[in-house]
Amino acid sequence: MSIDTPVPQSSPAQTIPAPTIPAQAMDDHWRELVTVAMLGTDRRDPPEPVGPLADLVADTVRTAPSERMLAQVAACVAVRRAGVLPGPPVDSLAGPAPDERPPCVPAAADRWHHITVSWPVLEDEWMLTLISNGWRMPPELVALVLRRHRRDLVRRTRAEVACGPLAPWLVNQLPELAAPTNKVSPSPESIGELPELPIPPDLAALLTAPGDESGRMLRAGIESGQLGPAHRAVLVNLLARVRPDALLDLAKALDSVDQISPGYGLAVALADLAKTRHQMLDELNP
Amino acid sequence: MSVGQRWSVEQVEAIAPSAASVTAAHPLATLSCWQGAGVDTEALWGSCQGSGAEPYDTMVDHVRVGFACTCPSRKRPCKHSIALLLLWARGQVAESAAPTKVESWIVRRITVDRSTVATTPNGQAESETGTDSGVSADDPAGPESERDTEASPDIDRDQVRNDRVERMFAGLTELDRWLDDRIRTGLADASLARYSTWDSLAARLVDAQAGSLANRIRRLAGLVGASPGWHDDVLAELGMLHLLSQAGRRLGSLPGPLADAVATSVGWQVRHADVLAGVPDTDQWVVAGRSDTREDRIEVRRLWLRGTSSGRWALVLSFAAYQQALDTSLEVGTSVEADLHRYPGAALRALVGTRHAEPLDGVHPPAHTVAGACDELGVMLATEPWLDCLPVTVRASLTRSGSRWVLTDDTGSLPMIESAHSDAGSGIATLLAVSGGGPVDMTVEWTPHGVLPLTIHLADRSIDIGPRADDSFVSAA
Repeated sequence: MSIDTPVPQSSPAQTIPAPTIPAQAMDDHWRELVTVAMLGTDRRDPPEPVGPLADLVADTVRTAPSERMLAQVAACVAVRRAGVLPGPPVDSLAGPAPDERPPCVPAAADRWHHITVSWPVLEDEWMLTLISNGWRMPPELVALVLRRHRRDLVRRTRAEVACGPLAPWLVNQLPELAAPTNKVSPSPESIGELPELPIPPDLAALLTAPGDESGRMLRAGIESGQLGPAHRAVLVNLLARVRPDALLDLAKALDSVDQISPGYGLAVALADLAKTRHQMLDELNP
Repeated sequence: MSVGQRWSVEQVEAIAPSAASVTAAHPLATLSCWQGAGVDTEALWGSCQGSGAEPYDTMVDHVRVGFACTCPSRKRPCKHSIALLLLWARGQVAESAAPTKVESWIVRRITVDRSTVATTPNGQAESETGTDSGVSADDPAGPESERDTEASPDIDRDQVRNDRVERMFAGLTELDRWLDDRIRTGLADASLARYSTWDSLAARLVDAQAGSLANRIRRLAGLVGASPGWHDDVLAELGMLHLLSQAGRRLGSLPGPLADAVATSVGWQVRHADVLAGVPDTDQWVVAGRSDTREDRIEVRRLWLRGTSSGRWALVLSFAAYQQALDTSLEVGTSVEADLHRYPGAALRALVGTRHAEPLDGVHPPAHTVAGACDELGVMLATEPWLDCLPVTVRASLTRSGSRWVLTDDTGSLPMIESAHSDAGSGIATLLAVSGGGPVDMTVEWTPHGVLPLTIHLADRSIDIGPRADDSFVSAA
């Protein structure tokens, strides 16, 4: 950032052109001030003010070198700030190769933020659904996703596919986003498949059951105390893999769990998971 | 009767003015030191036998966060208030009916608070934290004025004000003497690297009612050795402090608006109620950018608003101590028709008064060229050169110039602020990904060290990329 040359005028109505200081002279003067400030005015006297700056800081009351120095520094900084000018234009970066895929809807980007904070178990499905439906990653998520998945090669590979040509371009600009290069490439099968989640056999039947039936069973289990906070992890896994058309019924059933039931808090959380997954799939499916 | 949510010890420690205050409070946080201690849904109270002949009467508003104590300490909260809160946090204060004096104090606070409720969400901390615009927050029932009126109801308010002015002038004189010493001994002097050099001055400035200057001093301490060119940055800030201290000591001879601007930049506190009583600036206000920064133990949120009709900028601040919530009522990328009440002078800082309509989505301020942005910044800085944080909306491309990121177009370039950590984790990475190196409209915050991207304005939405408060420190609203 360089500086403009006019010295601030005392009144906006003033018609006489303001005296000016060449920008280079002001820069040189500032460097002299910094040098003196480093050493201290006990060791070196402040420089003589240049041009109109001399009038600005002229003050017979200030006799000590340190006082004259502070007055000059204050005036010089004020002039430099008020006279801020842009530096010379700089060549723009060459952009990334075009990506023909349409970006997904902005709501999907908001959903990703919610998922990564509250329900990370859904992130793999979010990413694979995005890729399989031909969307590209919203650009505002690209840096976040690349940074988030630097070490897990399977997820990193998915992220790079979702981000398209923007990913290598961004990594080229910001090498901190690069993945470690000393790992073995994952198999294509592992990239395209959702990871298996542990679900106990007595709950596995709910994976394919109609929503109203599985919702009824979950509600009854939670209200009777058979399903409680200790089962939270497997219930989360269940809702993350249950058939998508059952999600709304499940959410409805979980929302209607009796508030005095000890599992009410768990039911509220699971209902949010079911709704989040339903909305996620809704946003990512054309 | 329920006393509402009891504070944790961490929350109590977070509102203490210093670690030393907590240390001093701990010996007093035993029941044997207190008489008549009690708590209800609004307040905590008790009498603590201190070094004086009479016990100190202490009251704490634990809902709206406020303190009153008859002790002579200028610190707020004082060690007695902290000790009482610690007792409560440990469950050692019994619930009881509040004495009349406490009740009337709470009623007065609620009355004041109602007039400011539109701008200060419940539980939000009010602090003396200064801001980058050189202004300071003030408690709705300001601690200092509150103490004065509580301790001596008949005291002459003019005398109180004169005392405050006198203390502030003495603080400014001391600041100038301190600046003079720094310039005499030089920036290479080893004492500059010691935090106590700065912190003790900051503490004295707080005592002298110059809280904003105290915060500038603390921020300045962080610049020492922070970059290869730190001498430039520190010297420039010393110059601005000198300018403010000189102007502050000549307030009487300055034109009215400039005097007001200097007073608030120094730290002169203005009550919310007084600000809200001023003439409103009614406009369709676009929420153009948001930036969160931690100042000491308070998280400060700056929201930059731009008037659609007037083209004027305004700054709305909110504060949160540990586990308190920041203001989320203004969302970046929306606009709201509202009354803004500006602080005295040509202040950027304002409080939101009446909102006349629901917020609208998908609006953003008009963007300047890089040269145009510099012009707008220059006009604002010519008026108040000590401002160290200003907003501007610009259409430019992000690119590299040597080792530094810059915003550029065919009229020039502006350097970006250097990230303290990694560019990959900053707004720069998102800006780069969204723009693909091409021109985009964005609102940025100018600082003397470069510009910081806050918001990317796209045709259909705005993307908030400003620095965000740590979720482990503040709670969700």
